[in-house]
Amino acid sequence: MADLRTLLAAGLGLLLGVCCLLAPGAVVRVHTVGRRPHDRRGGYGADGDPSGRWLLLVRAVGVGFVLAGGYFGYVAVG
Amino acid sequence: MRHVGLKLRMAVVGSLLFGFYGVAAVVLMGMFGTNVFPLVIVGSVAFVGVQYKLGKWMALRSVGAEDLPEDRHPEIHRRVESLARDMRIDKPRLMIASMGVPNAFAVGRKGAGTVVVSQELLRTLDPDEVEGVLAHELAHIRNRDVVMMVLGQGIASIVAIVAQWAVLLTGDNDLADLFLAIVVGQLTQMLVMVFVFAISRYREYVADADAAREIGSGEPLASALEKISHSATRREDAGVDDQVNALCIFGDGGGLANLLATHPPVEKRIERLRS
Repeated sequence: MADLRTLLAAGLGLLLGVCCLLAPGAVVRVHTVGRRPHDRRGGYGADGDPSGRWLLLVRAVGVGFVLAGGYFGYVAVG
Repeated sequence: MRHVGLKLRMAVVGSLLFGFYGVAAVVLMGMFGTNVFPLVIVGSVAFVGVQYKLGKWMALRSVGAEDLPEDRHPEIHRRVESLARDMRIDKPRLMIASMGVPNAFAVGRKGAGTVVVSQELLRTLDPDEVEGVLAHELAHIRNRDVVMMVLGQGIASIVAIVAQWAVLLTGDNDLADLFLAIVVGQLTQMLVMVFVFAISRYREYVADADAAREIGSGEPLASALEKISHSATRREDAGVDDQVNALCIFGDGGGLANLLATHPPVEKRIERLRS
């Protein structure tokens, strides 16, 4: 039987990876809101997107989570 | 009674956040014993306090904010003084920065607030529109919105750290457990922040309504938002961020991004201000 924690690692890792790929700006915001003014970047009255470098970094981390999730999924059911 | 809707929402979200924090504290005490309770409380307060102090300092430093000279901008100082008096708060420190876009933000708390406006904002908006923006920022200070966001982020971080360590300490210390701990920490923080973001969006509406009430009309702020929103659209159309957008396969305006947004859509704010 597949190990439950490994299965969880696979499923949740994939979920987090997809979040990082789909909404990198939102993922950065989750960590920066309250630590710095959330409306410091971008125009007034809107959530400013972080710089392109940060978006790229979060997407790269997202790819890492998807790959790692896939690997643990393979280990769990393979 | 002022802001009944906000108070009710804050009661619900506050209870939820307290619940999250309570679960984290119980988990910690389950792992290390009840003796750690005072340490949990002191540690949490210190964590949020440091975050607040550092956040304010970093925000002002990161935009290179300088004091707004009263001799060069006497009208802005006069308007803020008058608004602060009407709102029954101390006049906040006024600062100016070059941010590349029309923007303004508030940091600090009632009695020790700072409002930063960008040079671009002062160049783009009419004096009445600037007053609308300043009234909105002063409302944030009066309603303690900055403090609330710091507190929400603090609780989310503490709960995430505890969730991460709980997974780590109950596992076999293999690679899958380490990965699971990191993922659970991140997802937990996101989950808690969904509630913080929800109340933040509502607080924006409240600050808009307060600003409209203080200056007697919602039109100046609505007009400011409209003007800035249009200029932002033009900038995007001009391809300023093409390099970034080219790498965005899905864009960042979907459901998740909306759920994790601190501001409501500008169109809705304008509509409410004019209604």
